[in-house]
Amino acid sequence: MKSKRYEGAGRGDVLLWIAGLALLYLLWDSGFFTAAAWQDFNRRFYQNFIKDSRYMMLVDGLKSTIFMTSGATVIGVIVGLILSVIRVAHKGGVHIPVLNKLAETYITVLRGTPAMVQLLIWNFTIFASARDLNTQYIAILAFGLNSGAYVAEIFRGGIESIDAGQMEAARSLGLTYGSSMRHVILPQALRNVVPMLFNEFIALLKETSIAGYIGIDDLTRAGQNIQALTLEHSQPLVMVAIIYLVIVLLLTKLVSKLEQWLSRGRRG
Amino acid sequence: MKKFFAFMLILALSAGICFADEAKLKSTSQLKTEKLAAQRGTVGQFIAEDLLGDKKGTLLTTYEKYVDAIAALRQGKVRAVIMDEMPAKRFLNEVDGLTIMSEPMSEENYAIGFRKGNTELVNAVNKALSEMKADGTMDAIFAKYLNGDYSSIKPEDIDFNKGAKGGKLFVGTEAGFAPYELKVGTGYIGIDVEMCAAIAKKLDRELVIENMNFDALPMAVSTNKVDMICAGITVTDERKENMDFSDNYVVGAKQVAVVRADDYEK
Repeated sequence: MKSKRYEGAGRGDVLLWIAGLALLYLLWDSGFFTAAAWQDFNRRFYQNFIKDSRYMMLVDGLKSTIFMTSGATVIGVIVGLILSVIRVAHKGGVHIPVLNKLAETYITVLRGTPAMVQLLIWNFTIFASARDLNTQYIAILAFGLNSGAYVAEIFRGGIESIDAGQMEAARSLGLTYGSSMRHVILPQALRNVVPMLFNEFIALLKETSIAGYIGIDDLTRAGQNIQALTLEHSQPLVMVAIIYLVIVLLLTKLVSKLEQWLSRGRRG
Repeated sequence: MKKFFAFMLILALSAGICFADEAKLKSTSQLKTEKLAAQRGTVGQFIAEDLLGDKKGTLLTTYEKYVDAIAALRQGKVRAVIMDEMPAKRFLNEVDGLTIMSEPMSEENYAIGFRKGNTELVNAVNKALSEMKADGTMDAIFAKYLNGDYSSIKPEDIDFNKGAKGGKLFVGTEAGFAPYELKVGTGYIGIDVEMCAAIAKKLDRELVIENMNFDALPMAVSTNKVDMICAGITVTDERKENMDFSDNYVVGAKQVAVVRADDYEK
């Protein structure tokens, strides 16, 4: 999605300004900008993040979040690639009806149920007796397999976006279906889908925030653990939100750079 | 889109301004028709449900964490939070503007929960518990947490009996329930944690804490994900149908209603 450029002040902007100013006035009226409030903010900040190196809980949580997201992305890309190739090959005339049906069912089921429910089923039903297994690996598997269903559709879209003439040309030159796919179609398709894969990574990063449900101290859960320690509600959560946002913004920036780099030298 | 947000913002602001004053609470019987909150799956939720009857669908909000329920109370989203007395007292110490209604809602006993039919472990734990009650271990653990200040208690000082010959003892808990269990840094402290550590030692097993949400604990123990669950769990007849309990280790723990101090007249 391309960002919209600022196009001058409309009526919505004026309303937003009025609302913003009203909010500022209310904050000022409720003593938000007084020295006492600032001191209180600092005291709570110290309690939440500095005392006993509590920020390390967030750092550890972030490590766990990134570890799970990376692992799940790898699984997701592998599973997604396999699924999409099966589906595209079936459509392209390769006779694999059973595999195709399996892939279709997989995608339907995993996309048709919430990731949260899948995570709970993986942890409490399928891996119920796996106690010595690090729960993070279960989460990686659950998120990865879930992501695979979405990545499959991304890949399929990418492959199908390649003009049919490419395949026809490759085949008419004597390449088999497999090698046409591997050497002609997939390299071009990959170039199209890489930015979308990064977006999937970003989506996964946020999705792993439910890992706390199976007892993983990810970034979100780390914030909740600080809440339970200091009994303070807003600061830990806002801090967690800021950390997510900063990472997502950095990644988004990276994706747009990548998009530019990938489209260099493309005829158009 | 921008217009919509601006409109919503103005709506929220005007709603905040027009907030009306209500008469103060005097007794717990008034809570029958008030908005209440509790942590999901706790006895506080069951008490609130009984209290509200048919109206529980509209008046009761259950939260995943106590901190969320207390935040809702402070923001005026609910008028009272039903919870255990000791964690409630800790909230009162740390957070301004809250108080506990003088009449307790009920009195409960805490015990350790097991998978139904795991009699062998129940018996072993009961034996350990009665020894610990007799030799003063339990009293010493409770005394350590009595004054409400745990800053001097370090998780690394609790002996988890690492490398014990009898294998691991997996214990499920929800570490946001001081003084019973609390996550500090990367470790855990609390009455339940120290008690389980002592039990593990007596059983010659290594204690492994699995920190999960409270409402996931019964599922975890019944699917054998953990050997037992210890999280200030109240013994109820309903729970007895789905799991086995050890002997009580806390008797007469009160369930109380936490309210805003300026909303309560004794």
